[in-house]
Amino acid sequence: MTFRLRAGKKGLELRLHDLEATIMDVVWGKQLSSFAVGDVLAILEKQRDIAYTTVMTTVTRLYEKGILERERDGKRYLYSPKLTREEFLQSTAREVLDEAVGGHQAMAMLAEKVSEASAGELDDLEALIQKRREELDA
Amino acid sequence: MIEATFPLLGTAFVVLIVLPAFALLAKAGLVMLERDEVGGPLHGLNLRYVLLTGSSALPVAWLLSAGLHQAETGKSALACLLDHDTAELCFEPGFFALMLAGAILAASIGVIRRHRGVRASSSDAARTLLRRVTRIIASDPVLASLRDRVVVTDDDGFALGTHGLLKPRVFVGTAFAARLSDEMLASALGHEAEHVRALDPLRYLILQLALAVNPFGRFMLEPHAARWQAAREAHCDREAVILGAAPLPLADAIVRAARPGAREVVALGARDTAVLKFRIGMLLAFSERAPARCCHQGPSAFPVAFVLLLIALLLPHQTGTAALDVLHTGAEHALTYFWR
Repeated sequence: MTFRLRAGKKGLELRLHDLEATIMDVVWGKQLSSFAVGDVLAILEKQRDIAYTTVMTTVTRLYEKGILERERDGKRYLYSPKLTREEFLQSTAREVLDEAVGGHQAMAMLAEKVSEASAGELDDLEALIQKRREELDA
Repeated sequence: MIEATFPLLGTAFVVLIVLPAFALLAKAGLVMLERDEVGGPLHGLNLRYVLLTGSSALPVAWLLSAGLHQAETGKSALACLLDHDTAELCFEPGFFALMLAGAILAASIGVIRRHRGVRASSSDAARTLLRRVTRIIASDPVLASLRDRVVVTDDDGFALGTHGLLKPRVFVGTAFAARLSDEMLASALGHEAEHVRALDPLRYLILQLALAVNPFGRFMLEPHAARWQAAREAHCDREAVILGAAPLPLADAIVRAARPGAREVVALGARDTAVLKFRIGMLLAFSERAPARCCHQGPSAFPVAFVLLLIALLLPHQTGTAALDVLHTGAEHALTYFWR
Protein backbone atom coordinates (compact mmCIF):
# COMPACT_ATOMS: atom_id res chain seq x y z
CA MET A 1 0.00 0.00 0.00
CA THR A 2 1.52 3.33 -0.96
CA PHE A 3 0.32 6.82 -0.21
CA ARG A 4 1.33 10.07 -1.79
CA LEU A 5 2.96 12.43 0.70
CA ARG A 6 1.39 15.87 0.92
CA ALA A 7 3.84 18.74 1.14
CA GLY A 8 3.56 21.07 4.12
CA LYS A 9 1.37 18.69 6.12
CA LYS A 10 1.98 17.07 9.49
CA GLY A 11 1.32 13.71 11.10
CA LEU A 12 -1.43 11.68 9.48
CA GLU A 13 -2.22 14.58 7.17
CA LEU A 14 1.16 13.99 5.57
CA ARG A 15 -0.42 10.99 3.85
CA LEU A 16 -4.16 11.49 4.16
CA HIS A 17 -6.42 14.40 3.29
CA ASP A 18 -7.43 16.59 6.21
CA LEU A 19 -10.82 15.04 6.92
CA GLU A 20 -9.53 11.51 6.27
CA ALA A 21 -6.80 12.12 8.82
CA THR A 22 -9.30 13.54 11.32
CA ILE A 23 -11.57 10.51 10.94
CA MET A 24 -8.72 8.02 11.30
CA ASP A 25 -7.50 9.96 14.33
CA VAL A 26 -10.96 9.51 15.88
CA VAL A 27 -11.10 5.82 14.93
CA TRP A 28 -7.66 5.00 16.32
CA GLY A 29 -7.80 7.43 19.23
CA LYS A 30 -11.21 6.18 20.46
CA GLN A 31 -10.22 2.62 19.55
CA LEU A 32 -13.37 2.06 17.50
CA SER A 33 -13.06 -1.53 16.37
CA SER A 34 -16.42 -1.54 14.57
CA PHE A 35 -18.39 1.58 13.78
CA ALA A 36 -21.02 3.07 11.52
CA VAL A 37 -20.77 6.43 9.81
CA GLY A 38 -23.15 7.84 12.41
CA ASP A 39 -20.77 6.89 15.27
CA VAL A 40 -17.95 8.96 13.78
CA LEU A 41 -20.36 11.77 12.93
CA ALA A 42 -21.52 11.93 16.55
CA ILE A 43 -17.94 12.45 17.73
CA LEU A 44 -17.01 14.92 15.00
CA GLU A 45 -20.15 16.99 15.52
CA LYS A 46 -18.89 17.90 18.98
CA GLN A 47 -15.83 19.50 17.37
CA ARG A 48 -17.21 21.08 14.19
CA ASP A 49 -20.20 21.51 11.91
CA ILE A 50 -20.18 18.65 9.49
CA ALA A 51 -22.74 16.92 7.28
CA TYR A 52 -23.53 13.21 7.37
CA THR A 53 -22.90 12.92 3.64
CA THR A 54 -19.44 14.46 3.99
CA VAL A 55 -18.46 11.91 6.62
CA MET A 56 -19.99 9.07 4.62
CA THR A 57 -18.09 10.08 1.47
CA THR A 58 -14.82 10.32 3.35
CA VAL A 59 -15.31 7.01 5.16
CA THR A 60 -16.07 5.38 1.80
CA ARG A 61 -12.86 6.87 0.39
CA LEU A 62 -10.90 5.44 3.32
CA TYR A 63 -12.46 2.05 2.59
CA GLU A 64 -11.47 2.37 -1.08
CA LYS A 65 -7.91 3.24 -0.06
CA GLY A 66 -7.76 0.03 1.94
CA ILE A 67 -7.44 1.67 5.34
CA LEU A 68 -10.90 0.57 6.49
CA GLU A 69 -12.76 -2.64 5.84
CA ARG A 70 -16.51 -3.03 6.05
CA GLU A 71 -19.33 -5.51 6.31
CA ARG A 72 -23.02 -5.06 5.73
CA ASP A 73 -25.20 -4.75 8.80
CA GLY A 74 -28.79 -4.57 7.57
CA LYS A 75 -29.16 -1.33 5.60
CA ARG A 76 -25.86 0.12 6.72
CA TYR A 77 -22.19 -0.74 6.66
CA LEU A 78 -20.10 -1.36 9.75
CA TYR A 79 -16.50 -0.24 9.26
CA SER A 80 -13.38 -1.30 11.10
CA PRO A 81 -9.75 -0.22 10.73
CA LYS A 82 -7.69 -2.60 8.63
CA LEU A 83 -4.45 -1.36 10.12
CA THR A 84 -3.44 -0.07 13.53
CA ARG A 85 -1.95 3.40 13.62
CA GLU A 86 1.50 1.83 13.97
CA GLU A 87 1.00 -0.47 11.02
CA PHE A 88 -0.21 2.46 8.95
CA LEU A 89 2.88 4.46 9.92
CA GLN A 90 5.14 1.50 9.18
CA SER A 91 3.56 1.00 5.78
CA THR A 92 4.35 4.55 4.78
CA ALA A 93 7.46 5.17 6.83
CA ARG A 94 9.83 4.53 3.98
CA GLU A 95 8.28 7.38 2.00
CA VAL A 96 8.41 9.59 5.09
CA LEU A 97 12.07 8.84 5.66
CA ASP A 98 12.82 9.27 1.98
CA GLU A 99 11.33 12.72 2.20
CA ALA A 100 13.15 13.36 5.45
CA VAL A 101 16.66 12.38 4.59
CA GLY A 102 17.01 12.50 0.86
CA GLY A 103 19.71 14.47 -0.90
CA HIS A 104 21.17 17.48 0.85
CA GLN A 105 19.34 16.87 4.07
CA ALA A 106 21.12 13.55 4.37
CA MET A 107 24.48 15.21 4.11
CA ALA A 108 23.44 17.81 6.61
CA MET A 109 22.28 15.20 9.05
CA LEU A 110 25.62 13.46 9.08
CA ALA A 111 27.34 16.80 9.46
CA GLU A 112 25.30 17.32 12.63
CA LYS A 113 23.32 20.16 11.09
CA VAL A 114 19.90 18.68 10.63
CA SER A 115 16.97 20.34 8.96
CA GLU A 116 15.69 21.73 12.21
CA ALA A 117 12.06 21.72 13.18
CA SER A 118 10.72 25.20 13.82
CA ALA A 119 9.39 26.21 17.24
CA GLY A 120 5.87 26.12 15.79
CA GLU A 121 6.30 22.57 14.53
CA LEU A 122 7.64 21.46 17.89
CA ASP A 123 4.68 23.18 19.60
CA ASP A 124 2.34 21.24 17.31
CA LEU A 125 4.05 17.96 18.17
CA GLU A 126 3.79 18.71 21.88
CA ALA A 127 0.10 19.54 21.44
CA LEU A 128 -0.38 16.22 19.63
CA ILE A 129 1.23 14.33 22.51
CA GLN A 130 -0.87 16.24 25.05
CA LYS A 131 -4.04 15.49 23.07
CA ARG A 132 -3.23 11.77 23.05
CA ARG A 133 -2.54 11.89 26.78
CA GLU A 134 -5.95 13.45 27.39
CA GLU A 135 -7.63 10.86 25.16
CA LEU A 136 -6.01 8.04 27.09
CA ASP A 137 -6.91 9.63 30.43
CA ALA A 138 -10.49 10.02 29.27
CA MET B 1 59.88 4.56 -14.79
CA ILE B 2 59.40 6.95 -11.92
CA GLU B 3 59.17 4.96 -8.69
CA ALA B 4 56.40 7.17 -7.37
CA THR B 5 54.08 6.33 -10.27
CA PHE B 6 52.33 3.39 -8.73
CA PRO B 7 52.00 4.78 -5.19
CA LEU B 8 50.52 8.04 -6.52
CA LEU B 9 48.44 6.88 -9.48
CA GLY B 10 47.41 3.66 -7.74
CA THR B 11 46.07 5.58 -4.74
CA ALA B 12 44.26 8.01 -7.04
CA PHE B 13 42.76 5.08 -8.96
CA VAL B 14 41.52 3.53 -5.73
CA VAL B 15 39.93 6.79 -4.55
CA LEU B 16 38.50 7.79 -7.93
CA ILE B 17 37.41 4.44 -9.34
CA VAL B 18 37.60 1.46 -6.97
CA LEU B 19 35.84 2.92 -3.93
CA PRO B 20 33.05 4.61 -5.92
CA ALA B 21 32.51 1.31 -7.78
CA PHE B 22 32.09 -0.52 -4.47
CA ALA B 23 29.78 2.28 -3.27
CA LEU B 24 27.66 1.70 -6.37
CA LEU B 25 27.44 -2.03 -5.62
CA ALA B 26 26.53 -1.31 -2.00
CA LYS B 27 23.90 1.17 -3.14
CA ALA B 28 22.29 -1.51 -5.31
CA GLY B 29 22.10 -3.82 -2.28
CA LEU B 30 20.75 -1.05 -0.07
CA VAL B 31 18.05 -0.11 -2.56
CA MET B 32 16.89 -3.73 -2.66
CA LEU B 33 16.87 -4.02 1.12
CA GLU B 34 15.03 -0.73 1.58
CA ARG B 35 12.42 -1.79 -0.98
CA ASP B 36 11.56 -4.77 1.19
CA GLU B 37 8.45 -3.40 2.85
CA VAL B 38 8.05 -6.28 5.28
CA GLY B 39 8.97 -4.79 8.61
CA GLY B 40 9.18 -1.26 7.26
CA PRO B 41 12.21 0.99 7.56
CA LEU B 42 13.55 -0.77 10.66
CA HIS B 43 14.15 -3.93 8.65
CA GLY B 44 17.66 -5.28 8.14
CA LEU B 45 19.48 -2.55 10.05
CA ASN B 46 22.59 -4.65 10.66
CA LEU B 47 22.87 -5.82 7.07
CA ARG B 48 22.43 -2.28 5.81
CA TYR B 49 25.15 -1.12 8.19
CA VAL B 50 27.58 -3.78 6.94
CA LEU B 51 26.92 -2.72 3.35
CA LEU B 52 27.39 0.97 4.17
CA THR B 53 30.68 0.51 5.98
CA GLY B 54 31.99 -2.58 4.19
CA SER B 55 31.88 -0.91 0.78
CA SER B 56 34.79 1.29 1.89
CA ALA B 57 36.45 -0.79 4.60
CA LEU B 58 36.77 -4.09 2.75
CA PRO B 59 38.48 -2.91 -0.47
CA VAL B 60 40.76 -0.61 1.52
CA ALA B 61 41.68 -3.44 3.90
CA TRP B 62 42.41 -5.79 0.99
CA LEU B 63 44.55 -3.23 -0.85
CA LEU B 64 46.52 -2.29 2.27
CA SER B 65 47.09 -5.93 3.12
CA ALA B 66 48.08 -6.78 -0.45
CA GLY B 67 50.52 -3.87 -0.59
CA LEU B 68 52.13 -4.84 2.68
CA HIS B 69 52.19 -8.50 1.67
CA GLN B 70 54.14 -7.72 -1.49
CA ALA B 71 56.53 -5.49 0.44
CA GLU B 72 57.05 -7.93 3.31
CA THR B 73 58.07 -10.80 1.02
CA GLY B 74 61.33 -8.94 0.37
CA LYS B 75 60.93 -9.28 -3.36
CA SER B 76 58.91 -7.28 -5.71
CA ALA B 77 55.51 -8.04 -7.03
CA LEU B 78 55.24 -9.69 -10.41
CA ALA B 79 54.38 -6.39 -12.00
CA CYS B 80 57.29 -4.73 -10.26
CA LEU B 81 59.71 -7.36 -11.53
CA LEU B 82 58.43 -7.15 -15.08
CA ASP B 83 58.80 -3.42 -15.25
CA HIS B 84 62.04 -3.16 -13.26
CA ASP B 85 63.79 -6.37 -14.13
CA THR B 86 67.09 -5.09 -12.91
CA ALA B 87 65.82 -4.20 -9.48
CA GLU B 88 66.34 -6.87 -6.85
CA LEU B 89 63.96 -5.24 -4.45
CA CYS B 90 61.01 -3.11 -5.23
CA PHE B 91 59.20 -1.36 -2.44
CA GLU B 92 56.58 0.31 -4.56
CA PRO B 93 53.74 -1.81 -3.18
CA GLY B 94 54.89 -0.83 0.31
CA PHE B 95 54.91 2.84 -0.67
CA PHE B 96 51.49 2.39 -2.23
CA ALA B 97 50.18 0.94 1.04
CA LEU B 98 51.72 3.85 2.93
CA MET B 99 50.27 6.40 0.52
CA LEU B 100 46.83 4.80 0.75
CA ALA B 101 47.02 4.72 4.54
CA GLY B 102 48.05 8.39 4.50
CA ALA B 103 45.10 9.32 2.28
CA ILE B 104 42.72 7.46 4.59
CA LEU B 105 44.21 9.14 7.65
CA ALA B 106 43.89 12.58 6.05
CA ALA B 107 40.24 11.92 5.18
CA SER B 108 39.55 10.66 8.70
CA ILE B 109 41.02 13.60 10.57
CA GLY B 110 37.99 15.82 10.00
CA VAL B 111 35.61 13.15 11.31
CA ILE B 112 37.74 12.45 14.37
CA ARG B 113 38.00 16.18 15.13
CA ARG B 114 34.22 16.55 14.96
CA HIS B 115 33.87 13.70 17.42
CA ARG B 116 34.32 15.95 20.41
CA GLY B 117 33.84 14.71 23.92
CA VAL B 118 31.62 16.15 26.62
CA ARG B 119 33.02 17.50 29.86
CA ALA B 120 31.66 16.14 33.13
CA SER B 121 30.63 18.73 35.73
CA SER B 122 30.68 18.71 39.50
CA SER B 123 28.66 21.82 40.32
CA ASP B 124 25.84 21.73 42.88
CA ALA B 125 23.29 21.48 40.08
CA ALA B 126 25.23 18.60 38.55
CA ARG B 127 25.46 16.72 41.86
CA THR B 128 21.72 17.20 42.45
CA LEU B 129 20.93 15.88 38.99
CA LEU B 130 23.26 12.92 39.45
CA ARG B 131 21.43 11.98 42.67
CA ARG B 132 18.11 12.26 40.81
CA VAL B 133 19.34 10.10 37.94
CA THR B 134 20.79 7.53 40.34
CA ARG B 135 17.43 7.33 42.15
CA ILE B 136 15.58 6.87 38.83
CA ILE B 137 17.97 4.13 37.71
CA ALA B 138 17.77 2.36 41.07
CA SER B 139 13.96 2.32 40.93
CA ASP B 140 13.80 0.85 37.42
CA PRO B 141 15.40 -2.58 36.88
CA VAL B 142 15.36 -2.05 33.11
CA LEU B 143 17.86 0.78 33.54
CA ALA B 144 20.23 -1.33 35.65
CA SER B 145 22.70 -1.47 32.76
CA LEU B 146 23.22 2.28 33.14
CA ARG B 147 24.37 2.03 36.77
CA ASP B 148 27.65 3.99 37.07
CA ARG B 149 27.38 4.83 33.40
CA VAL B 150 25.70 8.22 33.64
CA VAL B 151 27.68 11.44 33.64
CA VAL B 152 26.25 14.90 34.21
CA THR B 153 27.35 18.02 32.36
CA ASP B 154 26.56 21.71 32.77
CA ASP B 155 27.15 22.29 29.05
CA ASP B 156 24.11 24.40 28.08
CA GLY B 157 24.14 23.17 24.50
CA PHE B 158 23.94 19.53 25.48
CA ALA B 159 20.71 17.61 26.00
CA LEU B 160 21.23 13.91 26.46
CA GLY B 161 23.48 11.55 24.57
CA THR B 162 25.76 8.57 24.61
CA HIS B 163 29.49 9.04 24.21
CA GLY B 164 32.47 6.74 24.44
CA LEU B 165 33.55 4.19 21.89
CA LEU B 166 34.34 1.02 23.80
CA LYS B 167 32.77 1.86 27.14
CA PRO B 168 29.94 4.24 26.26
CA ARG B 169 28.40 6.42 28.93
CA VAL B 170 25.26 8.49 28.94
CA PHE B 171 25.76 12.23 29.38
CA VAL B 172 22.87 14.29 30.71
CA GLY B 173 22.75 18.09 30.51
CA THR B 174 21.58 19.79 33.71
CA ALA B 175 19.59 22.48 31.86
CA PHE B 176 17.85 19.89 29.70
CA ALA B 177 17.08 17.53 32.57
CA ALA B 178 15.51 20.39 34.53
CA ARG B 179 12.84 20.58 31.82
CA LEU B 180 11.95 16.89 32.12
CA SER B 181 9.76 15.07 34.62
CA ASP B 182 11.16 11.92 36.23
CA GLU B 183 9.05 9.81 33.91
CA MET B 184 10.38 11.60 30.83
CA LEU B 185 13.95 11.28 32.06
CA ALA B 186 13.50 7.56 32.78
CA SER B 187 12.08 6.98 29.28
CA ALA B 188 14.90 8.99 27.71
CA LEU B 189 17.46 6.96 29.65
CA GLY B 190 15.73 3.81 28.35
CA HIS B 191 16.34 5.05 24.80
CA GLU B 192 19.99 5.74 25.60
CA ALA B 193 20.38 2.32 27.24
CA GLU B 194 19.86 0.73 23.83
CA HIS B 195 22.56 3.00 22.34
CA VAL B 196 24.90 1.90 25.15
CA ARG B 197 24.10 -1.78 24.72
CA ALA B 198 24.70 -1.67 20.98
CA LEU B 199 27.88 0.50 21.15
CA ASP B 200 26.18 3.01 18.87
CA PRO B 201 28.77 5.81 19.22
CA LEU B 202 31.35 3.38 17.80
CA ARG B 203 28.93 2.35 15.03
CA TYR B 204 28.22 5.97 14.12
CA LEU B 205 31.92 6.87 14.09
CA ILE B 206 32.83 3.93 11.86
CA LEU B 207 30.00 4.85 9.50
CA GLN B 208 31.21 8.44 9.26
CA LEU B 209 34.80 7.26 8.69
CA ALA B 210 33.67 4.83 5.98
CA LEU B 211 31.93 7.68 4.16
CA ALA B 212 34.83 10.08 4.68
CA VAL B 213 37.42 7.80 3.07
CA ASN B 214 35.27 7.53 -0.04
CA PRO B 215 34.95 11.19 -1.09
CA PHE B 216 33.76 10.40 -4.63
CA GLY B 217 31.40 7.57 -3.68
CA ARG B 218 29.88 8.93 -0.50
CA PHE B 219 27.21 10.95 -2.28
CA MET B 220 25.69 7.65 -3.44
CA LEU B 221 25.54 6.28 0.09
CA GLU B 222 24.70 9.34 2.19
CA PRO B 223 20.91 9.19 1.77
CA HIS B 224 21.01 5.51 2.79
CA ALA B 225 23.30 6.28 5.74
CA ALA B 226 20.98 9.03 6.94
CA ARG B 227 17.95 6.76 6.59
CA TRP B 228 19.80 4.05 8.48
CA GLN B 229 20.65 6.49 11.27
CA ALA B 230 17.06 7.75 11.50
CA ALA B 231 15.80 4.16 11.58
CA ARG B 232 18.37 3.31 14.25
CA GLU B 233 17.01 6.11 16.47
CA ALA B 234 13.47 4.85 15.89
CA HIS B 235 14.66 1.33 16.74
CA CYS B 236 16.03 2.61 20.08
CA ASP B 237 12.64 4.25 20.80
CA ARG B 238 10.91 0.97 20.10
CA GLU B 239 13.31 -1.08 22.22
CA ALA B 240 12.93 1.37 25.10
CA VAL B 241 9.13 1.05 24.98
CA ILE B 242 9.29 -2.75 24.71
CA LEU B 243 11.45 -2.82 27.83
CA GLY B 244 8.99 -0.68 29.75
CA ALA B 245 9.59 2.99 28.93
CA ALA B 246 6.40 5.06 28.73
CA PRO B 247 5.87 6.11 25.08
CA LEU B 248 4.28 9.52 25.63
CA PRO B 249 6.89 10.80 28.12
CA LEU B 250 9.58 9.58 25.71
CA ALA B 251 7.86 11.46 22.87
CA ASP B 252 7.75 14.54 25.07
CA ALA B 253 11.45 14.22 25.90
CA ILE B 254 12.34 13.84 22.21
CA VAL B 255 10.46 17.01 21.29
CA ARG B 256 12.06 18.92 24.16
CA ALA B 257 15.51 17.71 23.15
CA ALA B 258 14.86 19.16 19.71
CA ARG B 259 14.34 22.66 21.10
CA PRO B 260 17.07 25.16 20.27
CA GLY B 261 20.04 24.90 22.54
CA ALA B 262 20.22 21.15 22.66
CA ARG B 263 22.67 19.75 20.14
CA GLU B 264 23.04 16.03 20.10
CA VAL B 265 22.85 13.54 17.29
CA VAL B 266 23.60 10.18 18.95
CA ALA B 267 20.73 10.92 21.28
CA LEU B 268 17.14 11.91 21.54
CA GLY B 269 17.57 15.10 19.65
CA ALA B 270 17.71 14.21 15.97
CA ARG B 271 15.92 17.37 14.97
CA ASP B 272 15.09 16.70 11.37
CA THR B 273 11.43 17.60 11.07
CA ALA B 274 10.19 14.57 9.18
CA VAL B 275 12.20 12.12 11.28
CA LEU B 276 10.82 13.73 14.44
CA LYS B 277 7.28 13.40 13.13
CA PHE B 278 7.86 9.78 12.22
CA ARG B 279 9.26 8.93 15.65
CA ILE B 280 6.56 10.83 17.52
CA GLY B 281 3.92 9.15 15.33
CA MET B 282 5.33 5.75 16.23
CA LEU B 283 5.35 6.56 19.93
CA LEU B 284 1.75 7.79 19.77
CA ALA B 285 0.88 4.48 18.16
CA PHE B 286 2.73 2.62 20.91
CA SER B 287 0.61 4.45 23.48
CA GLU B 288 -2.44 2.76 21.94
CA ARG B 289 -0.92 -0.67 21.53
CA ALA B 290 2.36 -1.87 23.01
CA PRO B 291 4.86 -2.75 20.28
CA ALA B 292 6.21 -6.20 19.77
CA ARG B 293 9.79 -6.83 18.80
CA CYS B 294 9.86 -6.46 15.04
CA CYS B 295 11.96 -6.42 12.01
CA HIS B 296 14.71 -8.89 11.32
CA GLN B 297 17.90 -6.91 11.81
CA GLY B 298 20.16 -9.34 9.98
CA PRO B 299 23.18 -11.00 11.54
CA SER B 300 24.86 -9.04 14.32
CA ALA B 301 26.77 -6.15 12.76
CA PHE B 302 30.06 -6.13 14.66
CA PRO B 303 30.94 -9.86 14.44
CA VAL B 304 30.03 -9.98 10.74
CA ALA B 305 32.05 -6.83 10.02
CA PHE B 306 34.99 -8.25 11.98
CA VAL B 307 34.95 -11.57 10.12
CA LEU B 308 34.68 -9.86 6.72
CA LEU B 309 37.53 -7.50 7.62
CA LEU B 310 39.67 -10.42 8.71
CA ILE B 311 38.96 -12.23 5.46
CA ALA B 312 39.84 -9.11 3.45
CA LEU B 313 43.11 -8.78 5.37
CA LEU B 314 44.09 -12.45 5.04
CA LEU B 315 42.96 -13.03 1.48
CA PRO B 316 46.05 -11.49 -0.22
CA HIS B 317 48.30 -13.80 1.80
CA GLN B 318 46.29 -16.87 0.81
CA THR B 319 45.13 -16.28 -2.72
CA GLY B 320 47.69 -13.88 -4.09
CA THR B 321 47.63 -10.26 -5.10
CA ALA B 322 46.93 -10.39 -8.80
CA ALA B 323 44.49 -7.50 -8.62
CA LEU B 324 47.18 -5.29 -7.12
CA ASP B 325 49.53 -6.29 -9.94
CA VAL B 326 46.89 -5.24 -12.46
CA LEU B 327 46.55 -1.94 -10.64
CA HIS B 328 50.33 -1.60 -10.60
CA THR B 329 50.90 -2.23 -14.29
CA GLY B 330 47.80 -0.24 -15.18
CA ALA B 331 49.09 2.81 -13.32
CA GLU B 332 52.46 2.63 -15.05
CA HIS B 333 51.01 2.01 -18.49
CA ALA B 334 48.65 4.92 -17.99
CA LEU B 335 51.57 7.19 -17.17
CA THR B 336 53.53 5.94 -20.16
CA TYR B 337 50.53 6.55 -22.40
CA PHE B 338 49.96 10.11 -21.20
CA TRP B 339 53.70 10.89 -21.05
CA ARG B 340 54.18 10.29 -24.78
